[in-house]
Amino acid sequence: MINARNITKSVSTAEGSLTILEGIDLAVDNGESLAIVGASGSGKSTLLGILAGLDVPTSGDIALAGKNLTEMDEEGRAAVRAASVGFVFQSFQLLPGLNALENVMLPLELHGMVDAEEKAKTYLERVGLSHRLQHYPKQLSGGEQQRVAIARAFASEPDVLFADEPTGNLDSVTGAHIIELIFELNSAQGTTLVLVTHEARLAQRCSRQITLEAGKLIANNTMEGNTQKNVVEPDVTISSVKAES
Amino acid sequence: MRGLKLSLAAKLLWRHWRSGEVTILVVALALAVTVVTAIAVFSSRMDQSLIRQSNTYLAADRVVSGRFAIPDLWQAQLAFEGLQQTRVTEFSSMVFAIKDNVDEMHLASVKAVGDLYPLRGQLEISDIAFALGDDIAVAQSVPPQGEVWVDSRLLPLMNLSLGDTLAVGNKDFTVTKVVIREPDTTNGFAVLGPRVLMNQTDLDATGVIQVGSRVTYRWLLAGEESVLQDFEQWITPQLGEHYEFKTIKNSQRNISSALDRGTRFLMLAAVMGVLLASVAIAIAAQQFARRQTDQVALLKSLGASASLVRQLYFMQMLMMGVIASAIGMMMGELVQRAIAASIASLVNVELVSAASSAYVTGGLTGVLCLLCFALPPLWHLPKVSPLKILRRELAVATVSVWMKGVFGIGAIIALIGFYSGDAFITLSIVGGFVVVMLLGALLALLMLRYSHRAGSKAGSYWRFAFANLERYRVQTITQMLVFACALMLLMVLYAVRTSLIEEWRLQLPPNAPNHFIMNIAPHEKAELETLLVENVLDANDMYPMVLGRISALNDVAYTEDERQRSNSLRRELNLSWAETMAPANELVEGQWWDSWQGKTGFPGVSVELEEAQEIGLALGDVITFSLGGITLQAEVASFRLVDWNAMRPNFFFLFSPGTLNNYSANFLTSVFIPPAQKPFVNTLLRQHPTIVVIEVDRIIERIRSIVEQVGRGIELVLWLVLLGGVMVLIAAVNASMASRMQEIGLLRALGSGRGLILRSLTVEFALLGFFAGVIGALGAEALLIGLQWKVFEGNVSPHYVLWFAGPIVGAVFIGLLGVFSCRRVISVPPNIVLREVES
Repeated sequence: MINARNITKSVSTAEGSLTILEGIDLAVDNGESLAIVGASGSGKSTLLGILAGLDVPTSGDIALAGKNLTEMDEEGRAAVRAASVGFVFQSFQLLPGLNALENVMLPLELHGMVDAEEKAKTYLERVGLSHRLQHYPKQLSGGEQQRVAIARAFASEPDVLFADEPTGNLDSVTGAHIIELIFELNSAQGTTLVLVTHEARLAQRCSRQITLEAGKLIANNTMEGNTQKNVVEPDVTISSVKAES
Repeated sequence: MRGLKLSLAAKLLWRHWRSGEVTILVVALALAVTVVTAIAVFSSRMDQSLIRQSNTYLAADRVVSGRFAIPDLWQAQLAFEGLQQTRVTEFSSMVFAIKDNVDEMHLASVKAVGDLYPLRGQLEISDIAFALGDDIAVAQSVPPQGEVWVDSRLLPLMNLSLGDTLAVGNKDFTVTKVVIREPDTTNGFAVLGPRVLMNQTDLDATGVIQVGSRVTYRWLLAGEESVLQDFEQWITPQLGEHYEFKTIKNSQRNISSALDRGTRFLMLAAVMGVLLASVAIAIAAQQFARRQTDQVALLKSLGASASLVRQLYFMQMLMMGVIASAIGMMMGELVQRAIAASIASLVNVELVSAASSAYVTGGLTGVLCLLCFALPPLWHLPKVSPLKILRRELAVATVSVWMKGVFGIGAIIALIGFYSGDAFITLSIVGGFVVVMLLGALLALLMLRYSHRAGSKAGSYWRFAFANLERYRVQTITQMLVFACALMLLMVLYAVRTSLIEEWRLQLPPNAPNHFIMNIAPHEKAELETLLVENVLDANDMYPMVLGRISALNDVAYTEDERQRSNSLRRELNLSWAETMAPANELVEGQWWDSWQGKTGFPGVSVELEEAQEIGLALGDVITFSLGGITLQAEVASFRLVDWNAMRPNFFFLFSPGTLNNYSANFLTSVFIPPAQKPFVNTLLRQHPTIVVIEVDRIIERIRSIVEQVGRGIELVLWLVLLGGVMVLIAAVNASMASRMQEIGLLRALGSGRGLILRSLTVEFALLGFFAGVIGALGAEALLIGLQWKVFEGNVSPHYVLWFAGPIVGAVFIGLLGVFSCRRVISVPPNIVLREVES
């Protein structure tokens, strides 16, 4: 699903060039779940951004869903994101002016899906928020907001879900619920999962864990017992019709 | 797909509206359109109505006049639907009264009129000579064939009564009515004798008009403005040098100048209104764009391409523009109707409908404002990196402040140019604006620095307020300038309105001369002066007047062609002399008699500037005049500017004292006759039937009522513009609200009392308003000097009241507005405030 080769990212600062990522080689298979761990400033979020096509590496190649992102311009990468990628963010990134339902509907509407509202309602129901459809983000708790964000991410049925510290802003109990939810939906839809986290509990749920230190990949461990890849189950109740974008 | 995008854009817009993110933008936009539509439509209606009213002085909307008969071909070809037309032929002729076998004859000014005369205004007649009040009736027709209506003074002059016979040329007429007032005799200095009014169809039978007779032919036209304009375009190329096209503007200087100033003011008000609304739009769009950055990053991370983002926002802006413009145009229509209704009930005027271009102007304003002021702040949105969703600290490459500044100023130039159609006004307003803003920024910086020192010694909330202003220096100065700009524009408008109306009143003081008495024979002079003194009437000096023509310049005779081209070379001129220069005259070139020394040995003549330009005179030229066949040469000594609004006797040509002593002169004066003493005119005319009295009291009354109407319109428009100012203030306060909310929430969380926060907020906003008021007053004064000097051509004088009112109004208003906007932060628990700020 993802194939990154010799990824380097440097930025120029007042003190000269600063290398954030250096020589990262990484392959993520279909349905695999990958945790990127490391200390603050080790380059986790930068790597996530590059893998998701939100940013471009200074050098190296990335292929996502069979498409070479480094050869594309921003428009091309946007098309790949639209077709294949979903996101969950640490700070939820819900639009404050939109209610829960509208926030989930947004990517579906953006992709021109006709039954956006029905689909959004179904996913909000799956994350247990059917009674909160008309609530605005500021009327929801942190956990509820993240559940809306998860519904939004899965509603467009992405091939890969990128999650950046999805539990970072939540207490441990709520965080645990959110982890459950992500993996549950992930396994139901057979999505490939790439997440950045500090939390060992979350990292351990993934089939593989890579560790970054000062921009270098220092460990790549397959987690025992978590090796089973997510495969699309035939009895998924949600329609997986992809809209034309 | 396009339909889907459109519906998505509509949904997004609706959601933005619901969440209040575009409220100010839409309201400011609608307000700009409202202000412009209301002003454009109202002033178009007023302009056209007043012109129509003033047209009563032409007795028509347009007049084609000439020394030759109006070609029948023109009338035959006239294919302009809805145009009313009639003809007037005017000439001097001896008329004969045949009574008791005694022939009385007198030189009369005969006017033959067509059936529809007058097309505008009223012809007043009576059965009694010198009638007053209820004895006067409005004529429902023109004199029937075989009848004439005559001037009151002709009856005693020729010993006539109604029913008697009066011969004009070969035809005898019955005198059936007395003409009291005609609508179109205001420039009556050429009236040679008492009026005899007859039917146009009788003209041929008189046999008076022969080849070479001195006759003025006028073709009167009235109708819808658009048809008249088409007509003007059609007729102008055909006029040649023998015919003239007259509108109220080129034939009634005093009325058209009152109209011009009124219209200019309204235009200025529209500009100010749009500028204020534009500032509000720019601030609101800036704020909207800031809030949208995260949304765009999110949309892009969800796969929206830059072009999709651009299309979505462009469609939203377009929809917003259409909706706000539609609302604005409807509101504008309502407002102008309200203004029109209030004016119509105060003054008995029926407003005609506006030119359709006025509505187009309103609608275009919405589009222009949106493109120029809302688009630049939103321009960068499609380029926001999707990575910003992960790294919030990532800088967004917005359009640079300089670029926005250049765009904004360009837009302002375009807008002002669009409304004023005047490059000087445009550049002076924009130039003044830029200079004032730059100086204002400097002043703001200085005030901030020094007041901070003073504030640090004051009480705790003062210290807190000053510290806050100083801490966010850039934001403070920006806000201060925005407030200053709004206050400045409002002050300029208020001061211009006040001084304009005041100036009009001064121009027409209550006891301005309202009657011209002319054709006073030398032997009547002393008697008339005694009569005036006896009646306690305040008359101006008696000016001698000799009729003469110009025949040559520097000994070269004018050709017939040249004569036909210039009205002044064709007609008889009223020549006079004066020892001292009369009031309302200003010497612009050359010397007055006390310091003038001629080079040619001829006597000197001082010429009115516009007249001199028409004939092409230079100082030192020698003009040859023909005065009743006697030649007189004079050297051009000076040029004068004459204020024709002053309602005093004024002359194009004034000779050095004594020059005209040997020519038979009669005299002219002007006098103020209060309404109660109006019968004096009749007494005077009965005793001296050869004297001509021109009643300008009606013109003055008319001008005064026009000024009142324009004044009322201006006041109402001012309130609309004030609303624009309030919008700016609200937008600017709102724009700073997010950071204030966070700070206040935090302060409250840390235990600061509500009292302290409330007081320091009040002081902070009031200080902002006070400083803005100081800068605003300074800018307003600078702009006013420019406007008074060039646009309204009035006296330049300082406006002390602004210096007090600006800062005080600024402090009170902005103080209250600020505290009102922050009231929620103070009343809602701090944790809720902080949470809202974070989300």
